[in-house]
Amino acid sequence: MLQLTSCRAVSRSLYSARASLLSAWTRRNPSTLLASTVSRRGYAEQFLRSKPHMNIGTIGHVDHGKTTLTAAITKVLAEQGGAQFTDYDQIDKAPEEKARGITINSAHVEYETANRHYGHIDCPGHADYIKNMITGAAQMDGAIIVVSATDGQMPQTREHLLLARQVGIERLVVFINKIDQVSDPEMLELVDMEMREILSTYNFDGENTPIVMGSALACLEGRDKEIGADKILELTKACDDWLLQPTRDLEKPFLLAVEDVFSVSGRGTVATGRVERGVATKGTEVEIIGFGSTMKTTLTGIEMFHKELDRAEAGDNMGALLRGMKREQIRRGHVLAIPGTIKSAKKFKAQLYILTKDEGGRYTPFMVNYRPQCFVRTADVTVGLTFPEGTPDAAEKMVMPGDNLEMVCSLVFDIALEVGTRFTLREGNKTIGTGLVTEIMEYAQ
Amino acid sequence: MLRLAQRPSQSCRALLTCRYSTEPPQKIPLALVAELRKQSLVSISKAREALTHSDGSITGALEWLQHDLIATGTAKAAKVSSRSTNEGVVGVSVLSHGAGLNTVGGVRAAMVELNCETDFVGRNDIFAKLAADIAHTAAFISEVKQQGPVRFTPLVLDELRDAPLLSHNDPSAAPNGTVSSAIRDTIVKVGENISLRRASAIIENAAPAPTGTSALRLGSYVHGSLHGIACGRVAAVALINLRSPHLQKFLRDEAARTQLGLLERSIARQIVGFDTLGIKNMPENANDDQVLYTQPFITLAGEFNGLPVEEALEKWSNANGLAESTEEGGAVVLDFLKWSVGESEQQ
Repeated sequence: MLQLTSCRAVSRSLYSARASLLSAWTRRNPSTLLASTVSRRGYAEQFLRSKPHMNIGTIGHVDHGKTTLTAAITKVLAEQGGAQFTDYDQIDKAPEEKARGITINSAHVEYETANRHYGHIDCPGHADYIKNMITGAAQMDGAIIVVSATDGQMPQTREHLLLARQVGIERLVVFINKIDQVSDPEMLELVDMEMREILSTYNFDGENTPIVMGSALACLEGRDKEIGADKILELTKACDDWLLQPTRDLEKPFLLAVEDVFSVSGRGTVATGRVERGVATKGTEVEIIGFGSTMKTTLTGIEMFHKELDRAEAGDNMGALLRGMKREQIRRGHVLAIPGTIKSAKKFKAQLYILTKDEGGRYTPFMVNYRPQCFVRTADVTVGLTFPEGTPDAAEKMVMPGDNLEMVCSLVFDIALEVGTRFTLREGNKTIGTGLVTEIMEYAQ
Repeated sequence: MLRLAQRPSQSCRALLTCRYSTEPPQKIPLALVAELRKQSLVSISKAREALTHSDGSITGALEWLQHDLIATGTAKAAKVSSRSTNEGVVGVSVLSHGAGLNTVGGVRAAMVELNCETDFVGRNDIFAKLAADIAHTAAFISEVKQQGPVRFTPLVLDELRDAPLLSHNDPSAAPNGTVSSAIRDTIVKVGENISLRRASAIIENAAPAPTGTSALRLGSYVHGSLHGIACGRVAAVALINLRSPHLQKFLRDEAARTQLGLLERSIARQIVGFDTLGIKNMPENANDDQVLYTQPFITLAGEFNGLPVEEALEKWSNANGLAESTEEGGAVVLDFLKWSVGESEQQ
């Protein structure tokens, strides 16, 4: 337990990738193996500037100043040494970047506040973002909704909030821009009031969502500090305080996707695979989940590079020695997980993106009851696709390459699933779509 | 929150008193501004201005907005007119599917493409309604211009823009303005450039003789429609010719009409689903899947699913009592129109 706590402390102050790289390195060097815990701590403290990372996006009407706001944020934070100032024309550059279908470049703008490191993306459009989100190319953990004080919310603000809802953002920060162009302070109250109302309509916390009012342009031009730079700082602080930090893989409960199973004479059954998340130590109780039965057992040994280890963590490829299991009881597609943290499911709703012909997908549409192969982690199960209940004319509905939509997926066998699990759909030798589980409809018994 | 709202504005009031040329604005109750915005969807500053001019009366403000829109709306539309519009919807309106039990008339339908800047606006119901209304108007006002076989004909956009806009879900409502003024009003509401890119219609006025053996029908499909309005990213309308010695009997049979409806929609879906370039005779270097008649008919449910479209149509005609043989009659696709949003012009 002590070890686990210390791991958590380390991981909180490190990027998970860096941590696992380092631990892999220490393991490959037996001389440092003994001192690994100590050296890892020492390493972490040299990187005090490492802060938890978060992806944040701006959503708003084209004229309401998203790009100006982004430039203003980098300007203010650059003065504190937390960013490189990226001017308006640098953010809004290259028209080819705006061309449809291009991957949203989340590394384009970055900045650091006192508490966090942010990767900033601009959300170009609904379909573009959804596609990038489902395929895993871009992820917003939180968003800033930008609204101009002169216009107030607009008809399409609804679509902005719907997008945020659809991609699973639970908390937003609102920036009311251009307040220097409004003569009557009461009108700002109205913008505030209307925003809170519409936020509540779309199931956001309208009452407590921070709404910051300022002028990004004033900040960029270095005038009127109290509505310019000060407000931008207030906005970044609101992001720090209100937006929820997503859990790092290392901090989540242990889960390993079984790739292969061996029987080692004199030792027992070993399941190999990559640790998707969390940390496991020798003696950890695990469940083997999927394909009908859930079995409980204990990790009696962890092996990596043909050497025995005490612990494995997210990103490691390991062999797990399982107490009292027969080789035939486990197969590729099972997962090993801490008991009770994930369940086996057979039917779920998912947000799908169907690849276009140019992306290597199908070139013809499909109708209800289409049955491709569903690849989840290491599992490969046939899935039947239907439309959610209440879809009008479901029998005549057609899905075309390039569509993103929500469908009900019914698996032939149950496998370990939870909301947020990613999977791909394949047919023959083609990947025809990718998906993201949004709701579990039926757990296996 | 109140404190937040007031602090910055005290400083900017000084800056800004010069911007409004009217006398010092009188107090406009917030509730009124909110109410006016709900009714008219104009921006906050505009709503406030309208209420100032109408002494706080909502009706007066709405009237003032009507007049103001002509001046400032045009200015706003001109300001955004240079921005490129690559998103939007294709709207379809089918006023008459052709010969049926109750309809004696011919076919009457139109398709329009309305563009905007972002798909956030493209997905909004205000925008979809506008596109549907314009499609309805286009179908309603079009007339047969030249003699010859019934085909899809492009409309003159300027004529369509000057036409009074009819509502697609309440055709009896008096038009509120022209197509172009409705587009302008929507530009003001959503703040994006909106352009009417193309419009096409298919009209057959002559009613088939009651004893006729040949009739025209339309099948339509809109892919990705939202809000239950016939507007989406891709749409197709297909012109189908039914020939049969006992056509009248066929059309009087309710079961046959249900089957016919399914077939028509399937044909339109098939055209949308595949990269369909032609019906039977193809331009060179097109493959089989680009020719409708050689495509596998995957969108038609039932026993003929998967057969080449031509064969499926023949078998369908036999099975549904339309014709015994191809010589005697059957269902053939004469023409189709398929548009997708933002595609390069290829008419």
